[in-house]
Formats: sequence, structure tokens, C-alpha cells
Amino acid sequence: MKKKLALSLLLTASATAAIAGPIEEQIRFRQSAYSFLAWNTGKIKKEVVDHPETFNKDYVAAAANAIAAVANSGLGELYGEGTDQGIGWKQTRLKPEFFQKKTEVTQVANTFNQAANELAKVAATGDINLIKTQFGKVTESCKGCHDLIRIKE
Amino acid sequence: MKVTIHIWDLPHRLFHWLLAASVVAAYVTAKIGGALIDWHGRIGIFILGLLIFRIVWGFIGSTHSRFVTFFPTFSRLSAYLKGRWEGIGHNPLGALSVIALLATLAVQVGTGLFANDDIAFQGPFFDFIDKDLSDKLTSWHNSSLNVLLGLIGLHLAAIVYYRAAKKTNLVKPMLTGKKEIPVALAEAIDAGHGNRAGGVRFALSLFISSTVTWGAAGGITQLSKITRITSPCCSFAWASGEITQQHQATAPATRQQQIAQAPASF
Repeated sequence: MKKKLALSLLLTASATAAIAGPIEEQIRFRQSAYSFLAWNTGKIKKEVVDHPETFNKDYVAAAANAIAAVANSGLGELYGEGTDQGIGWKQTRLKPEFFQKKTEVTQVANTFNQAANELAKVAATGDINLIKTQFGKVTESCKGCHDLIRIKE
Repeated sequence: MKVTIHIWDLPHRLFHWLLAASVVAAYVTAKIGGALIDWHGRIGIFILGLLIFRIVWGFIGSTHSRFVTFFPTFSRLSAYLKGRWEGIGHNPLGALSVIALLATLAVQVGTGLFANDDIAFQGPFFDFIDKDLSDKLTSWHNSSLNVLLGLIGLHLAAIVYYRAAKKTNLVKPMLTGKKEIPVALAEAIDAGHGNRAGGVRFALSLFISSTVTWGAAGGITQLSKITRITSPCCSFAWASGEITQQHQATAPATRQQQIAQAPASF
């Protein structure tokens, strides 16, 4: 019995360690990534949508680049087996279905990546109307993931 | 013999159809999300205005709009369930549904004002509370939606039931304001003596509801800024130049200023 337990623990540990550290660490990293994203979407929202009179091209472009960088960082690595349960900064809200919906997950993740990269491109032009439209697409793609794999509180 | 009477006044009908359209629009914009979430917020504030209007109208509107006329008291409900209720406006069961719908919408609007979507949307009062509380209110906003959908389902089912089983069209009076009732019933409840809508009372309701709407739409936030500047603490500080300087130096810089002061390389 003890042997079995030790073996399964070892297997779990090695399986997750191969990806991005223990479960708690993966959850913590991804929660941090999304907080950082929220900080940057908030900045763009404020200067492009809520108070366009304060629009600063470089400030918005920096935020858009940060969003694209996070999107391109390979967040998928932080979704190892078993990470639907566990506490990072707080309890994860990942739905267990995540692991059965690989195709849909890939789709919503790609939509987000493309939207984020396009936003960085558009932000470089400094055209506030283009940025506003593309920003809407990015936030829509955030919702795509939330609706699919995030537990509603 | 039937007689046609005025039952729903024009403000009441306008309220009803604007509310129905707004709730549909709020639902659709929330489901689609993206840039439309801002419209969801605006529609929510409009619904707040409609609700306030309805509450005020429930006290000073015409007879069948008033809460006293139709409020589902226990005695009215039990009379209705025993088949002994006579009336022409909302029947007690319908009134229960009206009150439940208004209350649920009030919860939706109230929580929505403080809600956030964890993407880039925040209700106008989000800044007054901390994020954890906002998350909690957002979850109530989500779960009370199910209650609202259930009540709307009942509302529509009742319309179909009245149409099919009781051969009564409930929709037409809500469009035209007029309802045909048997003469005997009209005489029994003295239906001819309902008061009219009244322009002054309508203007008053409109004024109250638009003031509240303006407040929720950002007026309150702006007002609190004005009172902060003219508050006693600051006028005292202005009395002496030295204190003014200190005051400015210690006053928390706005976020924009902080960013402007931050080193460019960081």
C-alpha cells in the first residue's frame, strides 16, 4: 500500500515536473499571467475607450505588446494534467472539462493569440479607431476562453 | 354586453415595452461580449432608470399602475386562490410575478453597478469597493440571471396560457391600453372611476428617475470629486501657503501622474 502510494506520488510528481513545476506553481504562474493581462487591458480600455482624450500612442502600444508577449509565451504549458484542482494565489477556476475539450481549447486559445498579435500590430500604427475595434476582438476572445473552461463564480 | 375601459396608461405601457426591449438587449450584449459589454453597462443603467420610474409611478401613476391597487397581500392572494377575487388590473398571482420581476431586476442592476468581468469591464461603482466584493457581486449578478430567466419564462407562459385556455389576449391591452370587460364586472368594481395618468406626475417621475440614472452613469463619481476639493480639509489648507505646498506634496498623485514621473526606462 505504502509502496503504491509512493509510486503514484512519484509518477504524478515527475509527470508535472516535466511541464512547468508542481501543480500549485503552474496555477500560480497562470493566475499571475492573467492578472498582468488585466492590468494591460485596463490601460488600453482607459485610454482608447473610456477617455480617448488621454490617448497616448506609446503607452497603449506598450500595453498591447505586453498582451501579445503573454499570449505568445506558451501559456499552454501551465495547464498540465491535474491543474484543474489546486490553489495558486487562490483556488483555480479551471473546469475539469478542459482536458476533454482539447480541440475547442486550442481553437479559443488560437483566436486569442491572433487577436492579441493583431492588436500589437494595430497599436503600432497609433490609429485609435483601429485599436478600439481590435481591442474589442481581444476582449471577445478572452470571453471565449472564460465561457468554455472557466468556472463561473 | 362588454364595455371598453382604459386600464394601462401610456407611461406604464412605454415602461413595459422599453423594459422588455432593454432586457433582451442587455442579455444579447452580455452573451456576445467584446466591445458590446460597454453597451451592456449602458443598457443596465437605462434599466435602472426604468425601474426607478416604475417605482415612483407605482405611487403616483394612474389607478392600475399603483402598488396599493394590486399589491399581492395575503388576503388578496387567498381570495384569488379560492376563486373569489374580482378585479381588472393585475390579478394577485400576476401581481406576485410583477413584484418578483421588478425585485430580481433590481438585484441585477444593483449588483451590476459594482460588477466586473475580469477582462476590461467594470461597473460605474466598482471603484467604491474592493475586487473580492466586486467578484462576489458579479457572481450574484450571474446567478440571479437564472432567476430572472425563469420569471420571464413564467411571464410568457402565462400569456400563452391565457390566450389558449382562457381566450384572453393579455398583449393587446399592454399595446393599446384598452381592455374589454363585462359590463357587470365594470359596474361591480366601479371601473369608470380610475384616475388618469397626469402630465405633472409623469414629469415628476421622469425627473426623479433621470436624476438617479445620471448619478449612476457617472454623476456621483464627479460630484464626489467636487466635494473633495471644496471639503473643509482643503479650504483649511488653502488658508496658508506653506500648508498648501505640503498638502500638494503629500497628496496622492493620480495614476497618470505617477506614470509620467516613473523613469522612462522602467
